[in-house]
Amino acid sequence: MSAFLDHLPEFWEGLIVTLQLIAASFAGAVVVGVAITAMRVSPVGVLRGIGTAYVETFQNLPLLVLLVLAVFGLPEIGIKASLLVTAVVVIALYEAAYIAEALRSGVNAIAVGQGEAARALGLTFGQSLRHVVLPQALRTVIQPMGNIFIALAMNTALAGAVGVVDLTAAANRVNLMEAQPIPIFIGAGLAYALIAACAGFVTGRLERRLVMIR
Amino acid sequence: MVSLKRMAAVAAVSMIGLSACAGTDSGSSAVPGATKSGSDLLAAAPVAAAADILPGSTMEKIKQRGELIVGGSLDAPLLSQQNPVTGEIEGFDADMGKALAKYIIGEPKVKMVNAASETREALLGNGTVDVVLQTYTITPERAEQVAFAGPYYSSGLTIAVKKGATGIAKPEDLNGKTVIAGANTPAIPAIKKLAPQAKIVTFGSDPECMQALKQDRGVAYVQDETLLIANAQKDPSVQIIGSPFTSDPYGIGLKHGDDQFKKFVNDWLLKIQADGLWQKTWKNSLGTVVQGEAPTPPQIGSVPGS
Repeated sequence: MSAFLDHLPEFWEGLIVTLQLIAASFAGAVVVGVAITAMRVSPVGVLRGIGTAYVETFQNLPLLVLLVLAVFGLPEIGIKASLLVTAVVVIALYEAAYIAEALRSGVNAIAVGQGEAARALGLTFGQSLRHVVLPQALRTVIQPMGNIFIALAMNTALAGAVGVVDLTAAANRVNLMEAQPIPIFIGAGLAYALIAACAGFVTGRLERRLVMIR
Repeated sequence: MVSLKRMAAVAAVSMIGLSACAGTDSGSSAVPGATKSGSDLLAAAPVAAAADILPGSTMEKIKQRGELIVGGSLDAPLLSQQNPVTGEIEGFDADMGKALAKYIIGEPKVKMVNAASETREALLGNGTVDVVLQTYTITPERAEQVAFAGPYYSSGLTIAVKKGATGIAKPEDLNGKTVIAGANTPAIPAIKKLAPQAKIVTFGSDPECMQALKQDRGVAYVQDETLLIANAQKDPSVQIIGSPFTSDPYGIGLKHGDDQFKKFVNDWLLKIQADGLWQKTWKNSLGTVVQGEAPTPPQIGSVPGS
């Protein structure tokens, strides 16, 4: 275990980068995901089509492929951002497809009468989405969103493959010096498990507080 | 790429000539018209005497199994790379593995397990693989986990930059700059030691590192000299700075504490160094991009940890 404890500063730096990746890309993914869901349930056919195409595209491509394409492909056409920013944007766009699907199932879970009542009150589509449909849909899908958050946290490890020194890449580098893979990767694994456990705890609390009694 | 292939072909032809001149090996003569890299070499590779395969030893287990399980890479050019057309694994490390298999079993039967820097010690420790042949630099830290036969080859790290780049003449000049290195390569600790203020970005494979260098993700790329020479020959937009600044002795990783097997592999290394097979294997792989004659093989057991 000393191989792990002797290199705590390196692990700490990696953990900070991983937390940055998780926080920034989850925030981005929620924003994009809500927008895509709104498109998918909108009365405009073109928007529904765009939303469906988005979800199908990002759900059917592996994240690593997208990361490598963005990191090495985009500079070829003159778009170059730092590695961390590129990774955040790609992970956010990728996970947004999953968030959009979870949210859509939440929207579908809301009784038709809710939308009809909103329309009867004279709310526009945007207003009924904002005040009636989405607040209820979001409460329904807290647990799936928590799962997506955990999946996103684990997926950030792929950023290590494109030059971002996250927790996994930091563990790799320490192992290169110490040649003690088992304690080092158990240590890194525990850090990921802790992140996932926190996420599970928070979603559990949120679900209990925001549950809708029907 | 074309010139590389041509050189490989020239090397292969000269190899055929050499083995024809030698003409000592009977029984298992080279397959006529063989195009497989290394097959002519292997025809001349020695086989251990029955007395050397001690009863109850690792060698005997491998011989009974009928194949040598090697932990290695499939993507290291000139060292251990799978040919997408033939499916054969080619290169210096790969040929060494085949020759060792022939020495033990009598036939070059190798099962390759794709190892990674983070799994090699574990794979050897739990017996998943018999040997590791994967540019495995011998270090005292690693020698506490595994045993090393060899060194069987010695290489060094060097620096590549974009053509025309200035301000980098030695490793210390990398301080304060962004440097590209292969993930899980000895370049990372080496840069940290000589240029502690350098920011290191790592990518999984050599082509990715080259692309990153050309896209200015870093000002320099530190990698094994052999690989960089091959890269610079293919790609005129990069150039190599100076000569290697480290010396990395590569060992054959074995299970820790298996002294019998270690001595057996070391004896084999001495044998192939003496009979010229080592030099021919080098010529056939690394020698296709590095000019000149084969270097003098490193002294067995000459580095700490071996």
